[in-house]
Amino acid sequence: MTCSVGPAGEAAMRLVFEADPAPELTRTLLAIQKSAQRHFQGTLTDSVIGYATLTLFFKPLQFQRDRVEAWLLDQVDLTKTDTHCDPPPAIILPVFYHPSVGPDLEWLADEKGLSVDDIIALHSGATYFAYATGFAPGFCYLGTLPSQLMAPRLATPRSKVPPGSVAIADLQTAVYPCESPGGWRLIGQCPQPLFNLRHTPANLLSVGDTVRFEPVSEADFYAMGGAR
Amino acid sequence: MSTLIIGQAGIATSVQDSGRAGTLQLGIPPSGAMDPYALVSGQHQLGHVHDEAALEMAYADLIARSTHDCHIVITGAPVTLAIDDQCLDPRKIHAIKAGQTLSIRATKIGIYSYLHISGGIATEPVFQSRSTSPREVIGGFEGRYLRDGDTLPIGPTHSRPSRDDPLLDLSPSPSTLTLRFVPGFQHDEFSPAAMSALLGTEFSVTPSANRMGVKLSRGGLHSGIESLLSEATCYGAIQIPPDGAPIVLLNDRQTVGGYPKPGAVISSDCARLAQARPGQKVRFVSCSAEEADRIQWLERHFVETRLQ
Repeated sequence: MTCSVGPAGEAAMRLVFEADPAPELTRTLLAIQKSAQRHFQGTLTDSVIGYATLTLFFKPLQFQRDRVEAWLLDQVDLTKTDTHCDPPPAIILPVFYHPSVGPDLEWLADEKGLSVDDIIALHSGATYFAYATGFAPGFCYLGTLPSQLMAPRLATPRSKVPPGSVAIADLQTAVYPCESPGGWRLIGQCPQPLFNLRHTPANLLSVGDTVRFEPVSEADFYAMGGAR
Repeated sequence: MSTLIIGQAGIATSVQDSGRAGTLQLGIPPSGAMDPYALVSGQHQLGHVHDEAALEMAYADLIARSTHDCHIVITGAPVTLAIDDQCLDPRKIHAIKAGQTLSIRATKIGIYSYLHISGGIATEPVFQSRSTSPREVIGGFEGRYLRDGDTLPIGPTHSRPSRDDPLLDLSPSPSTLTLRFVPGFQHDEFSPAAMSALLGTEFSVTPSANRMGVKLSRGGLHSGIESLLSEATCYGAIQIPPDGAPIVLLNDRQTVGGYPKPGAVISSDCARLAQARPGQKVRFVSCSAEEADRIQWLERHFVETRLQ
């Protein structure tokens, strides 16, 4: 795998792989992140995994770019040979798939020439991998969506997406943890909170997790605390 | 407990300290004062050494009353100050008696002003910071901008004010503000035409400017980059969305994004940009990472020697 290292502004360094996203690549990034948290303890303030990137944030003026770069490139060589551990058991997220909470569900069915039930079966039949977190607290980028469901983002994002909305865009799926603007297509709602400051960790999903969606009835959705 | 009662909050007043670290992977931005120099100046003038939180006021229009005797100082964008209807020099430290009413109004320069109160605003820290992240509803006072009638806890005073230091206050922006940026991210994938447009265009600050970022006018900057995998953003990152108008990401930015970025504006210019009003002309100049370090070191040295 080819990769390179460069600055991300004046206080961060970014490792990027020229490769398509894959769980293997993410596990490599996770391993390097873990080593970095040990190796740069005290000066590393944050580290963020993207689909094909690891960005290390340092205290200003307390790191040397050439050293970080050399260290990262060494890690890439070292970590490549690591045998991957067994994936953790899948986290199950309940979803009420219904036009009343998934305003794009019927549009998607029409667009794809499928029934709403087909869409539900496809979306809940796949196992997803957590590639990245961010955008909002608790938001987790999950892939890979079955290609029959691939849909472009809205040309004009909605100004308000309700919390819990289950959404798809391109080959990704996610749950909106809190109310926010959003351009992804909404197909249902998940009653399970994804972020709670009183929990440690506060986020339910982390990079490297596997996730499945499980259809639930309207009655169960409300019984589980579904909002709408 | 001592409190500050907000009679009139103004449009975007929030509790801010220097921001938080370690939460980016959770999707929580650092937040913190948009003008960090104004924050440290006020903290220093009141003898605060524990990153005591202040009230950040965008286009200040605040009326507030303290329930106890305290000292205050206002930093950042210049304001007018009245205490019980008596106009006073807004650039000095003032002793306030319990029950007196402060009235603080923006002038024509800058955006963010900071009201520091001895003891600091003592809301509950979240991830070791009192900074408000309004979109995430985290930190500060109930995670939100203040409203009329809010009552804020004020910490006990452990320190005595030092001396006035108006030298660190905001000065008017030059006619064109230069934004120095460190090339990075997708810089090498931008088309030559897009890069020369970025470097050759005089942009201006639009009204779409807030704690998340500042959108600049003049679209049409097409990166030529088709699609991009979501990745970490950073302070000052220059995002080029499909409409081709750059957005410079600031304190309350989304921690991950999928728009192409040719680089990131250096922190000292980010602070100036944050204080720039809509209509302010700006242009981009590239700067090496080492040059960015030198500038940051010199500015920090200047601030530290001022504050000794």
